[in-house]
This record gives sequence, structure tokens and C-alpha cells, in this order.
Amino acid sequence: MIQQIKSWLEDATVDIFIGYRDVDGHAVPHGYTADRLEELGNWTVGTHRYPLETFALHLARIHPEATIGLLGRDCNQRALNVLSVWNQLHADRIRVLSLSCCPSALKTRADCSYLVPRKSGSFKHQVGVDAEMEAAELEALPSGERWARWAYEFQKCIKCYGCRDICPVCFCAECSLESDELVGTGKLPPEVPIFHLVRATHMAGRCVDCGLCEEACPADIPLRLLYRKVNAIVEDLFGYQTGSDTAQPPLSVLGDRVELEPLPMEKTG
Amino acid sequence: MTETQGVNAMECKLVPSICSYCGTGCGVLFEVIDGKLQGTMPMKSHPVNEGKLCIKGWHLHEHINSFMRLKSPLIKNNGRFEKATWDEAIQTTAQRLSSVVERHGPDSVGVLVSAKITNEENYLAQKFARACIGTNNVDHCARL
Repeated sequence: MIQQIKSWLEDATVDIFIGYRDVDGHAVPHGYTADRLEELGNWTVGTHRYPLETFALHLARIHPEATIGLLGRDCNQRALNVLSVWNQLHADRIRVLSLSCCPSALKTRADCSYLVPRKSGSFKHQVGVDAEMEAAELEALPSGERWARWAYEFQKCIKCYGCRDICPVCFCAECSLESDELVGTGKLPPEVPIFHLVRATHMAGRCVDCGLCEEACPADIPLRLLYRKVNAIVEDLFGYQTGSDTAQPPLSVLGDRVELEPLPMEKTG
Repeated sequence: MTETQGVNAMECKLVPSICSYCGTGCGVLFEVIDGKLQGTMPMKSHPVNEGKLCIKGWHLHEHINSFMRLKSPLIKNNGRFEKATWDEAIQTTAQRLSSVVERHGPDSVGVLVSAKITNEENYLAQKFARACIGTNNVDHCARL
């Protein structure tokens, strides 16, 4: 792998290659360049995952002419697809070197943080939503209980915005989660459930199911499950497969100005 | 600078550091592109925070690049803050502190230290209070 990166840098296939370097045993994302090839001596790959495509996106905004190589796990590659579908990155300016990440008995090793199983405590099992649950399993519960379980999860939110900040496909310059009209600002916990549902709506047709949001959540909210469900709805209704489809998702079309009369959310009296 | 040179000079790295906001000591990675701080990431392999951060930690890079950031000390003269050099500021502070100690005694001064500074700096601060000023009025922001 190092030889491949070296030759890519030497023959200028890529101007910079984003991978990981070893810093005292920690795998830290790093951009390797042709003028500092000796740094490849510190090349490493660990199980910890970072949104490398986000760094590529930031680089591309500063150097639009550069060709960027990066180490791609499956989730990285799906995110790159979405970024290219949304015209954030030019697919022809990106080279990906695949990394063995998903485990199999046929492979000697795999590098992914999801190889370590998530464990939930007994209290979470009783009143919350376990991240290991499947959407169908949860839907089998009565709706009142489902609501109570999700409300328990949402009210733990400390509104760190970590789910948005680590998200490889969150690239908007202006974010609805910071709009006072949509989501009340300056309150903790954020309005249940609107804060999380606004984000979930925006993940429809965009979320690549990498699970970085869930990993970054200090309150252990099962975000991946929530966004999986949202994507499943998009797939059922529109036949759109997020991360592999080459067209823009159906929800990106804003259409003409809506002329409908606004209705109150609830009937009064 | 031509376009090619721009590409050659390209740099993108993540620099490990410790969040400076509180005493917890979460590991962070600073995203540096072309020598400029662009963002903050939690350090996934750090034993303290295990890849999680609070809202303050996530936005560490913002105050560094903020146009409102104070880059030099200010001295208040005739009710207005004026830019000063570090030498001037330290001189003025030392003179004013000694005159307060002289007039009202050492116990008229208190030293407050912070979780944001290192153990060694906290040690120096209490040493300064006890040995230089001569008071036991030392406390820490975590006790406020």
C-alpha cells in the first residue's frame, strides 16, 4: 500500500494523499505529499475512523485544481459519492485507495471501529433505544412506548453539534440546526424531538450510514438507527439508494414556490 | 505564486493537542491546511474522551481565528483601553500590585487560578501568591 501511494505521489497521479500517520501509537489523519515522502515511514492504519473526505473537501475548497488521493473504507467511498452527487467534490479530482474494513472469515484482518460491539447498560435496555436494535424490532413495540423510548434518548442531548460536525456529508454553509426559527436556541436539552428530527430529515437521501455521528455522541443517542430508518423510507418511496446512486436524491428538488395556505399544527377546541 | 507552486506547497495535517477549555483534558486534533487552522476533531483514540467532545471543544479553532481575539495586552489610561507591549503591561501590573501590597498589606490581594492552565502553571501561581505577595489567598476556578 505504501509503495502504491509513493508511486502515485512520485508520478503526480495525486498532489496529496490523505491517510493516517502514527503519533505515539495513535492513528492521526495526515496528508502525504511528494516533497515529504520520508513521512511515509510513519504510515499507519488503525481501527479508529475519521471523515477523511471532509479534510479532502476543505483542501479542495482552498486548492480546487489539486488532485487528492485518500484512503477509503467503504463508508468513506459512499460519502465521496454523496459529496460528488451534491457537486461538492469533482469525482475526477479524487483517487481512492481501498482499505479492507468489513470483517470476513476469508480475510486475515479488517480495520473498522465497528468491529468492537456496542454494549448498552440494563437501564438503557429498559427505557431507551439500544443502538444494536433493528428498526423493525423497534416498530413492533406499541407507538406510545416507542415515543417514550426515543424521548428518553433525545432528552439526553447536550447539543454539542458533534453529530453534525463530524458528519462527512454535512457541508452546508448555513445550518438549519442553528436557525432560531426552526430550532429554539439557547435551551438544554434542545426541543424534543424537533432538533433531532430536523437533522434526521436532512439526512434523508444523504446519510451514508458510516456511524461516525453515533460514535461522536457523548450522550449515546442511537442516531445511526434513526437515519437508517429515514434512508429506508427514501428507498421505499423513491427507489433511491443513498451512497451508490449517481443522481441527486429526490428530496433535493425544492420546486416552485408553495402557494398553500399555512395550517395550524394542531386543531384547537 | 503560480498555480503549480500552490499545489506543491499544499499541506494538510492533523495536530494532536489537549482541549484548553476545562480541567477534563479531552484529546483533540487540530485540522491544519496550509499552515492555517481550519477545524477541530475529537481524538478517537484518546483515553479521556474516546472520540467525543462538548460544544466548546468542537469549536476550539474559532476563537483562534476570531477577528475579535486580543493579540496584545491593553492598559486602561484615563478610562480607555490602549494597546501596550507585554513589557509595559507586566511593568504596570507589577508596580500597581506592589503599591497595593505596600498600602493595604499582602492579604488585600487574592490569586485565582484556573483549570485551563497546567499543573505547573498553577503551582507557579500559588508560589507567586505565597512567596512573592505573602498571602494565602489562593483559590481555583473549580471551587467558585
